Amino acid sequence: MKNRLRSHVDALATAVSRLTKSPMTFFYPDYEEDKPYGYRGVILYSNEKCIGCSLCAQICPARALKMYRVPGDKRLRPGYDLGRCIFCGLCTDICPTDALELSSVHDKVFDSLESMVMDPVDWTLWSRKVRGEEMARGRKMRVWIDEDKGLRYEEVR
Amino acid sequence: MASAVSPGMEVRRIGGSQDGRVIELYIGAQHPASGHMRLIVYLDGDVIVRVDPDIGYVHRTMEKLAETREYVRVISLLERMTIIDSCNITLPYVEAVEKLLGVEPPPRARYLRTILCEINRIASHLYGLGIGGIFLNHSTMYMWAFGDREVFLHLASLLTGARLTHTYSVFGGVRRDLPRLFIDEFSKAKRYMLKRLRDYDKLFFNNPVIRGRLEGVGVLKPQRAVELGVTGPNLRASGVRYDARLTGYAAYGELDFKPVVGKEGDALERIWVRLREIEVSLDLIEQAIRSLPEGPIFHERFTKTIPPAVRHWLAKGRIKLPGGYVRLKTRPGEVFTRAEMGHGEVTYYLVSDGGIKPYRLRVVTPSARNVVLFDELARGHTLMDLPAIYGSLDYFPPEADR
Repeated sequence: MKNRLRSHVDALATAVSRLTKSPMTFFYPDYEEDKPYGYRGVILYSNEKCIGCSLCAQICPARALKMYRVPGDKRLRPGYDLGRCIFCGLCTDICPTDALELSSVHDKVFDSLESMVMDPVDWTLWSRKVRGEEMARGRKMRVWIDEDKGLRYEEVR
Repeated sequence: MASAVSPGMEVRRIGGSQDGRVIELYIGAQHPASGHMRLIVYLDGDVIVRVDPDIGYVHRTMEKLAETREYVRVISLLERMTIIDSCNITLPYVEAVEKLLGVEPPPRARYLRTILCEINRIASHLYGLGIGGIFLNHSTMYMWAFGDREVFLHLASLLTGARLTHTYSVFGGVRRDLPRLFIDEFSKAKRYMLKRLRDYDKLFFNNPVIRGRLEGVGVLKPQRAVELGVTGPNLRASGVRYDARLTGYAAYGELDFKPVVGKEGDALERIWVRLREIEVSLDLIEQAIRSLPEGPIFHERFTKTIPPAVRHWLAKGRIKLPGGYVRLKTRPGEVFTRAEMGHGEVTYYLVSDGGIKPYRLRVVTPSARNVVLFDELARGHTLMDLPAIYGSLDYFPPEADR
């Protein structure tokens, strides 16, 4: 009986002791996580490096990449369906010229489903826009593991 | 399963509908905890006479889909079976293809796979503990376990670049090298988690309210567990010393590893095994980091054909895939592989006809083997014990349905 009472008190005390710790979260739209090196976000495309080998479209497990015929271009070029992308990054691994690269962004908003399907020209322009935004994005939080709290957030200046 | 007989007929057979004693209760088919499924429970008053797990709501024809894709494209497909444990579930498939290709991953890659597998196991156990907590209306355990799981998802994202669907092990090695930052961050995470496990013991495991709900509930005898083909922590909690990691795949053969084995076989013991396995996993990661061999992370057969323009990535700890990687041809043959996931043992049987896609891929997941326990353990208990039993089993419907 005494032991049971003690266990009850222990359980309550453990829960109460955690109240003083700050929560393991931050206000997302105001702050954004500063992604670790190598984070796999949306795929960006540089048409000047692309040689049109179509390996990316062949390896894509979700068929998010498809080869398109572009007017005035002899070679096929990849287009990107962001709605299908699973961010595995295999296309960037197999690209022999680094024409495809990973970004640290994955939270993008589109007006419609159709606008998520980008042909090579759209994708090039969109990639340029995202690269510009990546530099200028708002306040960032760096995540660190903390011995005491679990995760700790530090604003990046 | 109620098989060809409709549920109403079952009622008549079990209890006789004349006095209306046996009633059937449908639990689901929404998302009761860890995925979409339905339990059809037959009750005599408050006592469970029989439980029919109505499975298949998240069946996605994984095995058939695998036959339509090239070997490398199957990896990210199979991850979707158990998204919380994605390295463990894809590793035996990768090893099976490696055997058919005749490729042995470098030692460093095997160790890195082990590290991610153990991170996955901790995250999976914390997920299971959280779900087990909320089944017993213990919201604090739920929030704590899911919060602490974030620590390990963060570690995984440092290593692989993704929180859940890592696609980390590929044929011939792994995709990223261990970042320098990881070792420091892990040692902090380990100290934090060990402290938290003591908190879990006080808040949950030794809590008289929880003990009252779990102790002596759903007892599984060792003999019966073996007969039913139960696997994972549910099997070990009954006192059977079996863990697929003992077969020594990846780097487990070179690390000092002792499986956690329970005794009682009740719901409380199953939770206890999971808590203690987290400690063992933390220790395994530390051992793997300490004895991590130097060297390449990707097999030479593939690295030598990487185009010179992108070779600079190798020095930065990232691999590049050669062009022929998409259409890899394996030798014809059959391979059987296994691995220990957080939920139990997963087995793959891969048949190749020498083409670029699997001829047949058979997957048996731990949850598919453990689903039999719902009926076995719940009989004779009251309806209130059913959530306790479900919570202790760590059952994951998307994994069972495949």
